[in-house]
Amino acid sequence: MSKPDWTQAFRLEATELLETLEGALLDLCERPDDRDLVDSAFRALHTIKGSGAMFGFERVAAFTHEFETAFDKVRKGEISPTRELITVALSAKDYIRSLIESPDGTDAIIGDAILDDLRKFVAPAEPHEASAVPPPSAPPVAAAAAAESGAAAVGWRLHLEFESHILRNGSNPLNFLDDLSKLGPCFAVALTDEIPLLDALDPEECYLKWDVTLHSDCSREVIDDIFMFVIDEMVLSVTPLAQSELPAADQHPTTAPDVNVSTAPAATAPSRSPASHSPPSISSPSEPRRDEQKRGDDRATATVRVQARRLDEMMDRVGELVIAQARLSQLAATSSDPSVKLIAEEIERLAGSLRDTTMGARMVPIGSVFGRFRRLVHDLSLELSKPVDLVTSGEDTELDKTMIECLADPLVHLIRNAIDHGIEATAARVAAGKTEKGRIELHAVHSGAQVLVTVRDNGAGLNTARIRAKAEEQGLIAPGAELPDADIHQFMFHPGFSTAQTISALSGRGVGMDVVKRTIETMRGSIDLSTRPGEGTTVTLRLPLTLAIIEGLLIRVGEARYIIPLSAVEECVELTAEDQRARGRHFLNIRGDLVPYLMLRDILQSTVSPDTYQKTIIVSTGETRVGLVADQIIGNHQTVIKSLSKLHSDVTIFSGATILGDGTAALILDVAQLVGLAQAHADKHHLNEAA
Amino acid sequence: MSEYLKSKEAVKLPADCSISAIREVYEMIRTALAQRGELEIDGSCVDRADVTSIQLLISTAKTGRERGQAVALMAPSQVLRSVIRRAGFPGDAEAGHHFTTKDVG
Repeated sequence: MSKPDWTQAFRLEATELLETLEGALLDLCERPDDRDLVDSAFRALHTIKGSGAMFGFERVAAFTHEFETAFDKVRKGEISPTRELITVALSAKDYIRSLIESPDGTDAIIGDAILDDLRKFVAPAEPHEASAVPPPSAPPVAAAAAAESGAAAVGWRLHLEFESHILRNGSNPLNFLDDLSKLGPCFAVALTDEIPLLDALDPEECYLKWDVTLHSDCSREVIDDIFMFVIDEMVLSVTPLAQSELPAADQHPTTAPDVNVSTAPAATAPSRSPASHSPPSISSPSEPRRDEQKRGDDRATATVRVQARRLDEMMDRVGELVIAQARLSQLAATSSDPSVKLIAEEIERLAGSLRDTTMGARMVPIGSVFGRFRRLVHDLSLELSKPVDLVTSGEDTELDKTMIECLADPLVHLIRNAIDHGIEATAARVAAGKTEKGRIELHAVHSGAQVLVTVRDNGAGLNTARIRAKAEEQGLIAPGAELPDADIHQFMFHPGFSTAQTISALSGRGVGMDVVKRTIETMRGSIDLSTRPGEGTTVTLRLPLTLAIIEGLLIRVGEARYIIPLSAVEECVELTAEDQRARGRHFLNIRGDLVPYLMLRDILQSTVSPDTYQKTIIVSTGETRVGLVADQIIGNHQTVIKSLSKLHSDVTIFSGATILGDGTAALILDVAQLVGLAQAHADKHHLNEAA
Repeated sequence: MSEYLKSKEAVKLPADCSISAIREVYEMIRTALAQRGELEIDGSCVDRADVTSIQLLISTAKTGRERGQAVALMAPSQVLRSVIRRAGFPGDAEAGHHFTTKDVG
């Protein structure tokens, strides 16, 4: 078994900690008095510093140390976490990320500049330091704490139990004992009962526990501060020491590492439970955390970190299995041996189950990508001087991890556009009777086999007249042509429509929307757009749950077979003789609605004679329905999607390929492209009729 | 010291006995204890140690007692002694209770 890559482990851990830090900093903008947020940010910094030093990231440790020192003023309440300070702190966080990801390519000058900025916030508070913060062993505080407990202010009795994984996190219990020793005479007794025999020992786990008697008039808060970074991963019991428990004259305290110490022998120190230590008269503030800790344990055992690459590989294997299973089922169908049919059915059932489980393992809550946009909104809001609130909902909605990765860039584009071009300047908002602060809502929800991701702003809405004028200018529509507003808005997605020059000319949005559309369509998704003048714009992205395996409808056109994604299929109808007689019209009457249809054999250039009874598959994207005429509907098919080669990148009507049960390939039709094609035909038909 | 260690074939702890290397040290000691009637562990070269090192030594001593094998820690380095003391054990490597300690040479 290969040795674990500790450097990579640190990078992963640091990434999560930096996300926690960023979240806490952004929340502090809204709730600057929230002590838990300050502690959370500080804990993240401290852990990055400690782990960084441990794994050889010296520059990370040194920079974070400086950052932490500055932020300590916030923790101590000496300076407030103002918006300006948070902005610098966010830059510092970005710098740490850069140091971790690309240490050689990160210029120290940038770090120095950030630290200088941080120090500017810290420096003015220096004169207040002495009065603002009580010294660690301030007698009045200790006396007050002791008075509350009814005990004499002579010291504390502690019991320390750490979670077994604590050493792997880089925490060192000995450092905590050293810190306690600095507060006063300290007697530590190691409890060894939990250390197992060699065969049962995991050498990286923590089994030792400690009973500590500390003779100090320090406050309880000072003790809590020592353990603040590990308090979620330990049981800390602290009880006041009675006067009668003063040390005997011949007892020697545990002191700093380089000084000889004398402690009670472990043999005479029974391993006691925290309950036996702690008089019930006083409750430790850390006690309520036991439940949280328990829940944390449950979470730890319920989840396991897996490399994304392995999930991809697993999905590939499952894809191959599904293909092989389809071949087996096809062979079994022609076999007269009932046992072959039986085992083929069993394998089909197991392969389906494995497919669902594997796809489930790849599902990631979309909240993981939503979190990034808080920073984007914060930065753009400052940059453009437009106060904006970002409201997110549906963060638990799960999507395939590949989809999540692909979704980030389009959403950045949409949110950037919403703030830049959708949300009005403060003065304009006030003049329009709106709140000074703009609002952007980011929402995700499951809808059948799709996920809908909505970006909604309460800005000015699209300026239809300006978009139309631009479209006419670019020759996309004839001047004065009658078009519904919704169709005019679609021009924003036209390649080349959203150029840099257009941004200043349009008061509506449009920057790079063609890129957004292309990306979403690559993901087999679609975009809906609605707007109300003066009220705002809503962009809805419709996405399939996964890019790996889909339910498809297998059809035949001529001699070739094709797949249509089942999520796009509404219904199947027969193309009647009447419909065929009116072929020039290319419209079907579906319960009173005229639906345009495409003859797939024309598009796919089939030279084989058509079947007598042609079938129409009604597909839809958003509100638009289109009929696709095929020779035969073969049935459902588990479709493992294979990408097309670069040679076929210009073939837009296919979104991929799959392998059928008999080993032949079938192309997957891109419904969005076909719908667009049918729409174009329908528009042409309308224009001809109008002429 | 070297002659003594050679004759008894003490297991020599590496310089790094901290968590980053403890799994290999663990395998080395476990194998040694399984192969010998009594075990002497030479701690003279240890210059990195932490809680995991202490736990491993105590577990070895416990296992030796359980199997009736003598386990002794030989010439613990200053670093190792310091860590043992910081961890809340008396004097020289928990003398007399967990395992015998010997200053050699």
